[in-house]
Amino acid sequence: MKHHYIVSCVLLSACLLTGISAYAQTPEEKGLEIAVASDKRDSGWGSMRANMEMILEDRSGKTSTRKIESRQLEVEGDGDKSLSLFKEPRDVSGTAMLTFTHGLDPDDQWLYLPALKRVKRISSKNQSGPFMGSEFAFEDLGSQEVEKYAYKYLRDESCGDSLECYVSERYPQYENSGYSRQITWIDKAEYRPIRIEFYDRKNSLLKTLEFRAYNEHKGYWRADQFRMENHQTGKKTILNWQDYDFGVNLNARDFNKNALKRLM
Amino acid sequence: MRFKKRSYFYTIVLILICTPAHAAEVLTELGVEVRAYTKPGPPETHNGKLALSLQPEFTQQLEAQNLYLRFEPFFRLDQFDEERNHADIRELKALKVYDNWEIEGGIGQVFWGVAEGNHLVDIINQTDFLEGIDGEDKLGQPLLRFSRIFDQTSLSGFILPGFRERQFLGEESRFALPFPIDSENAQYESDKEDEHVDYALRYSGYAGLIDYGLSWFEGTARNPLFQPSATEPGVIVPFYEQIQRVGLDVQYTVDAWLWKLEAIRQSSELPSFSAYVGGLEYTFYNLHDGAYDLGMLIEHNYDSRGDPLTVFYQNDLFVAARFAFTDADSSAILAGAFIDLDDDSQIFRVEASKRIFGDATISLEAQVFSNTAKTNINSVFRDNDFLKLDLAWYF
Repeated sequence: MKHHYIVSCVLLSACLLTGISAYAQTPEEKGLEIAVASDKRDSGWGSMRANMEMILEDRSGKTSTRKIESRQLEVEGDGDKSLSLFKEPRDVSGTAMLTFTHGLDPDDQWLYLPALKRVKRISSKNQSGPFMGSEFAFEDLGSQEVEKYAYKYLRDESCGDSLECYVSERYPQYENSGYSRQITWIDKAEYRPIRIEFYDRKNSLLKTLEFRAYNEHKGYWRADQFRMENHQTGKKTILNWQDYDFGVNLNARDFNKNALKRLM
Repeated sequence: MRFKKRSYFYTIVLILICTPAHAAEVLTELGVEVRAYTKPGPPETHNGKLALSLQPEFTQQLEAQNLYLRFEPFFRLDQFDEERNHADIRELKALKVYDNWEIEGGIGQVFWGVAEGNHLVDIINQTDFLEGIDGEDKLGQPLLRFSRIFDQTSLSGFILPGFRERQFLGEESRFALPFPIDSENAQYESDKEDEHVDYALRYSGYAGLIDYGLSWFEGTARNPLFQPSATEPGVIVPFYEQIQRVGLDVQYTVDAWLWKLEAIRQSSELPSFSAYVGGLEYTFYNLHDGAYDLGMLIEHNYDSRGDPLTVFYQNDLFVAARFAFTDADSSAILAGAFIDLDDDSQIFRVEASKRIFGDATISLEAQVFSNTAKTNINSVFRDNDFLKLDLAWYF
């Protein structure tokens, strides 16, 4: 009898506690919960390869194009590894960049300079700097680990093409970010990023990023187009992703300083 | 130019040509160089001239076989200066990758080191001095490389069959040495002369914020000594010693700082010597609302032989600033100076470059020799202040 009483008590308090916590989930907890769910949906892909075309457009509509081959390796318990091989403009063709991301710690980064056949370790401090003269900062294109931000859920809202989204705010926790905060729209059905607004250090709206034309590859959703607009300069950058390949079976050996030298 | 191991080079060319064309990639660089010297040189030289260069690059990746092929010839044609006309195979090689192994054979280029002003540890390739005195251009070296790749390190062994002699500019050339050089009759310490097989080992890797390399080389010195010709009075012949050299290069990368050190110890029949180049680089990012990054660099060079007349960097400081603009045209300005701390001789160099028309680049370079002491090796070049315009097309 006594035994039953204890069990009931435990059960009751457990129910109460769960009930209370569900009821009293703070916006911060809900924001984190959405980020964790989104990260979980997008884990387990192992390695992938894709080609990226980057179109830079200035205020007068003049464009220039870059082409990059991208390879990525998912790393359990740490940030992902990536290799970017530059194809265009032709004068930087053969240049390659190897990045080991580390959540809150600074990334390790090496650059291969084909004219000198030289691999150079570079500083990864320049997170807020523009990537190849584009409206994307290095931090926008880096691996998006959950612990890189603090979160706060704001509201539900319709978004994209008749989707329902969670709207949250997130605050960079890593050093050298160029942003005070970002507002993210994540769709409720598949937990994919649909839109991100970036606010600069003075808390003014700086850029908007839209993810368009999502397709599913082996169970993982990837947008075929990223559109970044800078509201302060009027410049735009469009990333068109092609040839997503999640069946490449790359491993750590394909992401080291030696691999960097043999890319062409 | 001669290559003794012709058969395996031709094999690589054949593979490159015969493999399916759709997988091969070609990138060609066509360069036009216009140069003007501000002071008159020796009678047969010119104060202004034009030169062309062509460097096609053929690459083939056979991913299923983990085989990589590469052919990169280079051609230079100078308006007046015949000694500067030359062709070289910068690379012609095959690279095969097995799990944790890499095997590379052919003609290749290998770079070791971390410093910017002086590549001290780097030794595998002969410097192409016909291209300039900055030492950035290298001749292709016949080589066979075996590498064992570990998680964060790799160990490489090099067999270097055949030696590339240094080429010298002649009387019609600016930047020629002030005495006639008979490089046809170069002398060697080894009786195998330029067929001596050299060896090298390198262990390199990284640990956290530190990248490092330890290297060992045994064979023919890339840097010749000069001695009077036994047959022709007043003529100098290059002499290539046999040397043993150990090298160390380290870079510590933290925040926006790069701390760098390269050091060597070289032994031969001559007294042994040591040399180092060490310094630091700091970059200020996103200045003027993100318009440009400014990198500042200072490196000190030391050589225990100590004589500024025979050694370029016996006690010299290299300081430089690099403005890298964040525009779509990758505009950049690099300004640097070498200052000899013993005799105050100076070399200044400024270079500005940007991309034009989407697939071409333009750059303007000025170099000035200043306050040159007669006892400094720079005095040989003191009348060669120049302005150079380079246009390069990539297709």
